[in-house]
Amino acid sequence: MNGRGVHALGWLAGMGVAIGLAFVLGSYHTDVYRKMLIWVAMALGFNFLFGVAGQIAFSHFAFASVGAYGVVILSHQLGLPFGLAFVLAIVICGLTAFIVAIPATRLEGFYLALATLAFSQLVRVTIDEGGALTGGTGGLANYRLPPFFGVDVRGPWYTVCLVLLVAFTLWILTRVDASWFGRACRAVRDNPRAAEAMGVDIARARILVFVMTSTLAGLAGIGYAYVDNVINPAVFSLENSFLLLFMIIIGGSGRHVGAMLGAVVLYLAPFALEPVAGNHYMLVFGVLIVLAILFRPDGLAGLLRITRPGKAA
Amino acid sequence: MSRSRSTRLSLAAFAIALTMPAFAQDTIKIGVITDHVGGSKFYAEPVTRGIEYGARKINESGGVLGRKLELIIEDDQNKPDVSAAKARKLVDDGVVIFLSTTGSPSTQQAQTVSLETKTPQLAPANGADQMTTALDNPYFFQTGPLASVQLATLMAYTRKKGFKEVAIVRDNTALSQGFADSFRGGLEKAGIKVALEEVIPQGSTSAVANLQKVRGAKVDAIFQAGISGPEMLQFFRAYAQLGMKEPIYGSYNLSIPAYLTMAKDLMEGVIFADAFDPDRPDVKTFLTDFAKENSGGPAGSLEAYGWDGIHLVAEALRRAGAPDREKLRAALQGIDKFDTIVGAKGTFWSFAGGKRAGFHPQGAVIRVVENNQHGRVLQAGQ
Repeated sequence: MNGRGVHALGWLAGMGVAIGLAFVLGSYHTDVYRKMLIWVAMALGFNFLFGVAGQIAFSHFAFASVGAYGVVILSHQLGLPFGLAFVLAIVICGLTAFIVAIPATRLEGFYLALATLAFSQLVRVTIDEGGALTGGTGGLANYRLPPFFGVDVRGPWYTVCLVLLVAFTLWILTRVDASWFGRACRAVRDNPRAAEAMGVDIARARILVFVMTSTLAGLAGIGYAYVDNVINPAVFSLENSFLLLFMIIIGGSGRHVGAMLGAVVLYLAPFALEPVAGNHYMLVFGVLIVLAILFRPDGLAGLLRITRPGKAA
Repeated sequence: MSRSRSTRLSLAAFAIALTMPAFAQDTIKIGVITDHVGGSKFYAEPVTRGIEYGARKINESGGVLGRKLELIIEDDQNKPDVSAAKARKLVDDGVVIFLSTTGSPSTQQAQTVSLETKTPQLAPANGADQMTTALDNPYFFQTGPLASVQLATLMAYTRKKGFKEVAIVRDNTALSQGFADSFRGGLEKAGIKVALEEVIPQGSTSAVANLQKVRGAKVDAIFQAGISGPEMLQFFRAYAQLGMKEPIYGSYNLSIPAYLTMAKDLMEGVIFADAFDPDRPDVKTFLTDFAKENSGGPAGSLEAYGWDGIHLVAEALRRAGAPDREKLRAALQGIDKFDTIVGAKGTFWSFAGGKRAGFHPQGAVIRVVENNQHGRVLQAGQ
């Protein structure tokens, strides 16, 4: 079997396991699994923005909230058909990201981080003060995913949708990463001046990658909206944005597998540590993060490189 | 006796012996969602302490329906998504009911689980009015003093003060916004103008700018609707720093003892709504017994919410006659005039008439901070 066949088989096997889990897990583990999948999708997008394109932005959860609130407000508050609301929510995410990207991506490093932090706060305040439309700080509840083309997507089938969301996010990002645009993004990250000298339009690349990853975050937000059928501002907090950054650093910045590993490990760690470490589990969690940064600066994905010398994951 | 028969009898005796401890140890599982690491830790943990103490005392007096209560406690980090996950874990673990002691958004999100799995859920201390209205969930019950009741009690107390213009100061949490909305509605209804509403966002390192605006507005009083500890500490620091004299009126959030440590000597004279009268004889007994039998400091109103909450569950279980979720829900809904430690003298919790917010409309009291302590009751009821 050639390399492409092995690659396709790997994808199929991974998808098979991920989908199979949706049908064997109990209620609690399904819940944790679904939320972990949302984190994985978020981490993949943020990894491309931060790890591949080198943009330090803290607006990822803000865009997730735009997607989540967008679809719920459009379909359940304003009564639009779900399909239309879904598409419009994604378009709103893309357009908002484009508007934010034009001024923000002219900034670099911490200035971009600060600009996106300000945008996140603006979104938060808008939701908090949105009255009945956004539900204010209490959020929105009392809605359900309507039948989609006559199909009621419930139980394990919704988990399958989230697996497909992750697969779509991974597929699109690996395709883009392998293209000239992915190489241009890495070049801009490593040396903007050299990239420009080689003909890369830096501003265009930065805007495109910001819009793409922010729209993917919005898509993940839409997925989250129907996990518990509740959305509230607390879930899209800055605290989670920092956790996302940790996930990328611990997993291995710039590598898709690293983003996935980081998201899985850091999301599940508190659940796994609590029964072992009691009330001090977050302390243990923090110590483990520090140790991981100290002893595995290339992230958990670096472990795969050690076990498979010469192979990039 | 034949050998085979004696073998069969021995096996039967062995089987009975094996199952006996199982019957003896058969418990009624009750879930508790608390917060040991997040922003609601400073009120969730004391409420949980009250639940644990209450369960211990119930078990010491023989349990309920001949069985001991077994608490299964989960930490939701005050994160709504984690709270829902932990609620599912408790349901999978076989609890007949779970009590939520953390923040309103977390309790709200866990409601989707109680509704979906038809498992009763009790929020013994949450006070946000929208908890029982945002979602039509017949399995959810709330006994914390509603923001609207606190406000009405505060209004009844302040009416005689003749205020014309006041300021509202809050943070950007769900409960705080709920309190502020209730305050505004009640104040405006009473003909008192809200000159400005200042928001101290979570993570703020100073509230001086907010309070400078309040000072500039020359209001008669400040209604403090904040619930987030660190931000409210900034409020009291700024108030003292600016030498302000406007009287402060606050919600039951200010009854949390941690404030007296965090904002030590900064809260003198603050008037706050509460649901706890330490001068009631039964409350005094509770406080004395709690201090005697528990380490980790004396009890206050928060522990009382937990104590009353678990006793309410025990009473509902007795009325249900079996640890069955549906019967327990019906029994809870049927509870009327349940005597509590919490609340003004002579008041009780009741879910009569299909209500799911059980706090008595006359249950709130007005207290004042004196000598850095939660002091006497100035007024009981509205």
